[in-house]
Amino acid sequence: MKRRGRGIACMWYPIGFTVAANPSAATVKVNEDGTATLLTGTVETGQGSLTVLGQIAAEALGIATEDVHVVSADTDATPMDTGAIASRTTYVTGNAIRLAAEKAKAILFEIAASVMGVRADQLEARDRRIVVKGFPQRGLSIAEVAHRAQVVMGEPPIGTASWNPPTVALDPETGQGKPFSTYVYATQIAEVEVDDETGEVEVLRIVAAHDCGTPINPMLVEGQVEGGISMGVGFALQEQILFDPAGRQINPNLTNYIVPTSLDMPEIEVDIVQSYDATGPFGAKGVGEPTSVPTAAAILNAIHDAVGVRITSLPATAEKVLAAVKQKRCRKRLIPEQ
Amino acid sequence: MTDIRKSGQARTSSGESGTIRVAGGEREMVLDTLGSAPQMRSPAVVPAAPYPIEARVPEVRQQTPAVGQRAPRPDARLHGLGQTRYIDDLSFPGMLYARIKRAGIASARIVRVDTRAAEALPGVAAVLTGRDIPVNSFGPTYQDQPVLADERVFHAGDGVAAVAAVSEEIAREALDRIEVEYEPLPAVFDPLEAMGEDAPKVHPPHGNVYARKTIRKGDLEAGFAASDRIFEGTFRSQMVEHVSIEPHCAIAEWDANGRVTIWCTVGRITLARADLARTLRLPLNRVRMIGTIVGGNFGGKNEITQEPVLALLSKKTGRPVKGVYTRGEEFVATTTRHPIIMEYRTGVTKDGRILARKVRLVLDGGAYCSWSETTLGKAAILASGPYRIDNLLVEACAVYTNKTMTGAMRGFGAPQVCFAYESHMDDIAAALGIDPLEIRLRNAFVEGSLSPTGQALNSVVVKESLLQAAQRFGWKGCEA
Repeated sequence: MKRRGRGIACMWYPIGFTVAANPSAATVKVNEDGTATLLTGTVETGQGSLTVLGQIAAEALGIATEDVHVVSADTDATPMDTGAIASRTTYVTGNAIRLAAEKAKAILFEIAASVMGVRADQLEARDRRIVVKGFPQRGLSIAEVAHRAQVVMGEPPIGTASWNPPTVALDPETGQGKPFSTYVYATQIAEVEVDDETGEVEVLRIVAAHDCGTPINPMLVEGQVEGGISMGVGFALQEQILFDPAGRQINPNLTNYIVPTSLDMPEIEVDIVQSYDATGPFGAKGVGEPTSVPTAAAILNAIHDAVGVRITSLPATAEKVLAAVKQKRCRKRLIPEQ
Repeated sequence: MTDIRKSGQARTSSGESGTIRVAGGEREMVLDTLGSAPQMRSPAVVPAAPYPIEARVPEVRQQTPAVGQRAPRPDARLHGLGQTRYIDDLSFPGMLYARIKRAGIASARIVRVDTRAAEALPGVAAVLTGRDIPVNSFGPTYQDQPVLADERVFHAGDGVAAVAAVSEEIAREALDRIEVEYEPLPAVFDPLEAMGEDAPKVHPPHGNVYARKTIRKGDLEAGFAASDRIFEGTFRSQMVEHVSIEPHCAIAEWDANGRVTIWCTVGRITLARADLARTLRLPLNRVRMIGTIVGGNFGGKNEITQEPVLALLSKKTGRPVKGVYTRGEEFVATTTRHPIIMEYRTGVTKDGRILARKVRLVLDGGAYCSWSETTLGKAAILASGPYRIDNLLVEACAVYTNKTMTGAMRGFGAPQVCFAYESHMDDIAAALGIDPLEIRLRNAFVEGSLSPTGQALNSVVVKESLLQAAQRFGWKGCEA
C-alpha cells in the first residue's frame, strides 16, 4: 500500500570561507558610449554567476544588464578571485564589483558635476543617465559623460577594487569567534509516497523557502533551488559509492550509481524569503550550496511520517526502507496483548 | 527523410547546387549536401544554421534598474543552440591526447615502474611518472597528495603514470603496456577503525586523525541536568560523487619561451595557478590559466588534478596536450562527499526548548585532506542547527582512510549534519507530542541570536522561512 507523509527541515549556511581570507578583486571600465566591461577572475561554472555579477555592475552604474559585458577567468587578463566556491560569488565578488563600479562612477560624476554646475554628491546614476537627485529633468546621458571623460578630459572612467569578508579567528580550545561574515537560512518541506510492500519512495512535492538576501536575479535563484533539490533527492534516496573489501569502487559508472533524472524530480515550489543584508551588494547574500542542504532531511522526515520508520543512514534505498518497515511489523507482533 | 532528399534533389537539379533548404520555424536552414554526390545523406548532427548577427535580446536585459530583473543568461543562447564550446570541443594543431594509469590497489609500495614498452608503441609521444614532477605534491590545506604516486599508493584511484599519444586509443593502449610492480601494504577503510591505535597508518608517520575541531559554549552538564528529557541518536551518511555532466578536462601548451597556458575546468583559477606553479616550480607569471565554460562543478572542480601532468607532457613533447577524464575516473580519481558518522545527545524541557546538545562527528576523509579541513569546520559549526542552544559541545575530527579522497561538495558537510539534526529534531518532537513545525519555531535563531561560535547573527529569517514554507505547503494549522 502506498502511504503518504510530509517532512520538514530547516537549515542555516554561511557565505564564504571559514575565517580564511577569500578576497575578490574586480575592474569595471565604462566605455565611451556608456556601456561597460567588467573584468572578474571568477569562473562561470554553470550557475549563472556572470549574469548576476553583470547585473550588480549595471546597478551600480545605473545602466542595464545588457549594457555590461563580462570578461572572466583568465589569470593573464582578469583580477584575482578566490573563485566559484563556498557560495561566495554573489556576496564577495559582487561586493568587489560594486566598489569597482562606484570608483568608475565617481569619475563620471566629477565630470558631469562640472558640466551641470552642481556638486558630485548631488548626483545619482539611473536609467542610463546621471541626474541631479530629486530633480531628474536635469541630467546628462551616461554615454555623453563617458565620452567626454575619455575623449575630452582624458580621464577614462575605470575603477578597480577588492573585497574580503571580515572574520575573527576561532579560539582553538572553544571554537569561539566570527568565522563568517553572514549566513543564509531556509526551509524545505517534502511530501512523499512510500510503498510499504516494496520500500520504494517517490518524492511528490517539495516546497522550498530560501533566503538569499536581495535576489539579484530571482530566476537564477529559482534555478539554483531546483538544481540543489535534485542533488538532495539523489543524496536522500539513491546515490552511494560502494567499495569492495579491497577498497576499490564497485559502481563507478552511471549504470550502477543512480543519479536522479527528470523522471525522479518532484513538483518544486520556490519561495524567496524576503531579507536584506547590509553587508552584501545591494543586500544580497548567496544561494548556491544551501539549496541542497535541507532536502534529504525533509525527505527522510517525510518517510518517517509516512510509514513510521526512522532511517538513520543515507541513502534511504527501497531495500533499506522495506527492511525497516518489516522490522517494525515484527516488533509489533512481539508486543504482548494488553 | 525521404521528403528532404526529394526536395534536395529537385533543388539541386534546378541549379542551386550544393545545398538544400529546409523550412524550419521562422527561418530556412541551409544544409550542406556534401557536394554533388547523388546519394545525399542527412548529417547525423545538423550543422549550425546561420543566425542573425543582431541577437533577438529579451527586453528584460535592457531594463533598469538591473537588480531584481529576471535577466536571461547571455550563455543561454549558445547553450540552446548547441554552440557553447567546452574544452573537449577545442582542438589545436598537433595536439596530443593524455591518459593516466590508475593504481587499482588501495595501499602499496611502488617497487618498479617499467614504461619501455609503452614508449616503444608507435604514436606514443611521451610517458610521465611521478619522478618527472618537480614538486610531486599538492593540496589546498595540506600538500599530502602526489600528482602521480611515485613511492606509495594511498588509494586505488591514484595515478601512477601518464602517456601522451597522437590518439586517445593509442594512449589507452600504451597504459596497458606500462608495468607497475606493487608490494601490497596494510590498508584501512573504516574511519572508526582508522582511529584505533593499531590501525595501519595511511600517511606514516602521521596518525590517521589529521584534523580536529571543537566548539564549546555554556555549561553542558548543567544544561543536561536542567533538562526534562534527554534524547540520543546516531546517524550516518554515504560517499557520493558530484556527477557533473562535463568531466574534468584540460589542455596544456608549453611554449618555446617556457610559458605554460592551461585551459581548464577548474572553478578557482587564481588559486589553481599557484598550486600548479608550485608543482612545476615555475614563477606565477609564467603560468596562464584560462577557465572556460564549465559543465557543472558543485565543488568537484575546485582543485588541480591532471593539469601538472598535461603541462609536463606538453613540455616533453613540445605539443599541446589534452586530457579528458572518463566517467570512471570522475568517480575513482576525483573528490567525493564525506561520509560522516554523527552522534547527537540533546537535553530538552518538556515543552521542547533545547537546553543542551552534544555532537560528535567523524568525517571519513579518504586518502587525502583536500578540502576536508574546511568541511570539518563547517560541519562542526553548523552541526547544532539553526537553533538557540546555550550549552553546547561539538567534537569533530577528520580521518584518513585508504579510500577515494573526499573534498569540497555543495554544502561542505552541511547536508550531512542537517540530515542528522533535523531527523533528531523530529524524533524529539514526536516523543514530546509537539508538532515538528512548532518545535522548530520554539528553538529557531532570531535576529541577534548568538551562533555556536558566539557570533551575533544578522538578517536572520529562519522563522520566516519556516512559516512561509509551511503556508505554501499547507502544513496542518498553517493553511493559507
